[in-house]
Amino acid sequence: MVWRSLRSMRTALILLLVIALASVAGSFIPQRPNSPLRIAQDFREHPLRSRIFDALGLFDVFGSWWFTLLYVLLLVSLGACLFPRTRALIRNARARPQPARELDGFRHFAEIPAGEPPAAAARRAQDLLRRRWFRVNRPEGGAEVAADKGLAREAGSLLFHWSFFLVMIGILVGKGTGFSGFAVITEGQCWVEAEANYDGNLRVGRYFGGDHTGARICVDDFEDTYRQSGIPMDFVTRATLTSGDGGDPTTQEIRLNDPGSVDGLNLYQFAFGWAPELRVRLGERVIAEGPVQFERDPVPEGVSELAVPWHGALRLPTLQPQRALQFSLWPSAAAFVTFRQTLRPGVMMTEAESPILIYEAFEGDLASELRPSFSELDTRGLRAAGDGVIGEGQTISLEDGRTLEGAALRRALEGDELTMSFTGIRQYTVLQVTRDRGLWIMLAAAILILVGLLPALYTSRRRVWVRAEPASGTGGSVLKVGGFALQRTTQFSEEFDRLVRDLRRGTPDRGVDPDRADERVGAP
Amino acid sequence: VSLEGWARISNDAFNVALFGYLAAMVGYFHYLAFRREAVWRVASTVTWLALGAQIVSIVARGLAAERVPWGNLYEYSSMLAALTVASYLVIVEWRAKIRTLGGFVLAFAVLTMAVAVSFLYVGPAPLVPALNSYWIRIHVVAAIVGSALLALGGGVLTSLYLVADRRERAGKAVPPIAGGAAGLDAGLDAGEVTDGDDAPPDLVPDEGGPDPVPRRRGVLPAAATLDRLAYRTIAFAFPIWTFAVIAGAIWAQEAWGRYWGWDPKETWSFIVWVVYAGYLHARSTAGWRGRRAAVIALIGFAALMVNYYVVNTVVDGLHSYSGV
Repeated sequence: MVWRSLRSMRTALILLLVIALASVAGSFIPQRPNSPLRIAQDFREHPLRSRIFDALGLFDVFGSWWFTLLYVLLLVSLGACLFPRTRALIRNARARPQPARELDGFRHFAEIPAGEPPAAAARRAQDLLRRRWFRVNRPEGGAEVAADKGLAREAGSLLFHWSFFLVMIGILVGKGTGFSGFAVITEGQCWVEAEANYDGNLRVGRYFGGDHTGARICVDDFEDTYRQSGIPMDFVTRATLTSGDGGDPTTQEIRLNDPGSVDGLNLYQFAFGWAPELRVRLGERVIAEGPVQFERDPVPEGVSELAVPWHGALRLPTLQPQRALQFSLWPSAAAFVTFRQTLRPGVMMTEAESPILIYEAFEGDLASELRPSFSELDTRGLRAAGDGVIGEGQTISLEDGRTLEGAALRRALEGDELTMSFTGIRQYTVLQVTRDRGLWIMLAAAILILVGLLPALYTSRRRVWVRAEPASGTGGSVLKVGGFALQRTTQFSEEFDRLVRDLRRGTPDRGVDPDRADERVGAP
Repeated sequence: VSLEGWARISNDAFNVALFGYLAAMVGYFHYLAFRREAVWRVASTVTWLALGAQIVSIVARGLAAERVPWGNLYEYSSMLAALTVASYLVIVEWRAKIRTLGGFVLAFAVLTMAVAVSFLYVGPAPLVPALNSYWIRIHVVAAIVGSALLALGGGVLTSLYLVADRRERAGKAVPPIAGGAAGLDAGLDAGEVTDGDDAPPDLVPDEGGPDPVPRRRGVLPAAATLDRLAYRTIAFAFPIWTFAVIAGAIWAQEAWGRYWGWDPKETWSFIVWVVYAGYLHARSTAGWRGRRAAVIALIGFAALMVNYYVVNTVVDGLHSYSGV
């Protein structure tokens, strides 16, 4: 009983519509995989509602158990429907078309006089139908012909529907055995594809065997270009890629819409940012040196994202007491000056022009940071220890913030003063690294879906019978022709008319006989 | 001609097309009410001319922006209106020889264009890198063609079918107004879809039928005719929409590293697809044929409009860049 109702088209139809409805919810309620920040905000602003939504799986509709249940039910219902249909189709394709008893009861029927004896006339009809791609059966070379055409409709429909199982396999294989993560790489640096190097930004499939590739990505250069209006023109990472087993390195340009690839991994341009080069010294001893990756500040409403400053942090845990610096970066000094005058970010910074860093220094126990992030200090457990401004190429004293030059600089280095130099600025790029081995399955499934859909929608199943009976006294015969179509009946009535016309003409397909061209045999 | 020149030509031709459609719409509605052959002739001619003007507008827009002319919502709307009108002219007026429906189709086109020019207009500008791919030619063209056909079949024709069906049901209850049932039969049996309303409105003998049955002096074609025409248009659109979704998935894989991510645009394209898949199945399911299937088609049309206007402007997603 359950089985039968599961198999019915009504059930499938209702499941389809319910899935559509669930998707509506999934598109209007923010979804955890797409916008986790929105959900965190919702939890703060409407805790009760958010908890209810969360319990119902509405924050992750497409990953929720009930959505899975819906499409599994649909697939089961589909399979239950497809198995018997496929068996029937195979049976049908193997069997030969069967003769009918009464031909004049069919929707289309005609009687045609023929010059030759019945067997020869039937043979002619058989040839004609064959030439039109009908499957023809003339039992024992007799005067009866049964023909049909259009198995492609059912075959196409079955192919279309079965292909969705292939889609499921493609997803399972691809997502199950694959992974996707983000590689953050500064210009001039290299990154090796291994679990630890994703810094937690890695999602692996359930059946992923941990076989990271060890491929090496060295970023030679990142470039972002804009038009005058600030509309982005191009983002491109130029990288040298070496496969994990140490093959020859290749140089690739990775841009939006043009991914790179190495070792079966695809690399997508995802994001980018500034990385000022800093050097902190205690006397002449280098405490920290290198580019520090910065993040863009939140973009206020109505402001171009190119106009907002960037923030970053530098922690110095080896100092006693421990120290840390929180920075704000203005890639262009002119933009900072304008900001100080208007108190609103306005000038777009499409490239670095005498960048400046504004810093606040802190000291205390860095382990007291409760929510550390790479670009932001959690300063609640720390003491303020001065602030200041530093331009590119400058060195300052972190004791009192003064700019050190010439003799003062020499003295600071010879003594044991804590100094910081802003030696240059680079960019970093964020590449999305993905492995999906199911892509070919998905592509094959997509092609099969389309290939199946066309005959399923545009062809029709039709059957034709011809019976040759001896005509009284002449030695000739009478051809009785009957037929019907299950779909596209209007097209079939034209096809049937053409068939009858050609049978009547006796020598089919030798040009149109104008006298007979408009002769029609209508439906009874 | 300079780039600004092309932009001006594009805008002027757009306005010519908009007012052309508006005038033709009035003409078609006049023909619907009074059946004056000459009025139809003028309305149809004006529609063709306005369509020509709109094609000029679209081509000029492409020349002004130096790229394909479907890079933002304004341009997309213009293409949608043009293709809806074009498919109406080919499918309904030329192939099916039905003349009375032009006003409704043009109303849709005029509305789409009016919204485009008043709320969605942006000047010609180059494509952002996210859109700069050859897939914009494949995915977006398929999406617009599919949308135009679904708007015609699932929107206009299906609504009119529901109206005609309602009238015929009402007519059947009152026997003296003959022809409701006869019209239905004629619609089912006729060779091509020529049994609409191209003949004079008063008593028309059934073509080749044994005894002339007076046909209902109907405003609209027979419900069965509209139903079949709507079905054919949707059946034509469905594989195209399927292809558009698949092409979008392939592009997403290439641009974002995943073929499907339940981005609002993807979700709503999926909803449209699912609803029309439901429609096609409903038509072959006992108890769902006819009005119920038509209601599903209308829901699909509503989903298409949500996908088009709401998702691009209100909901925040990866496709937002193509917006206003």
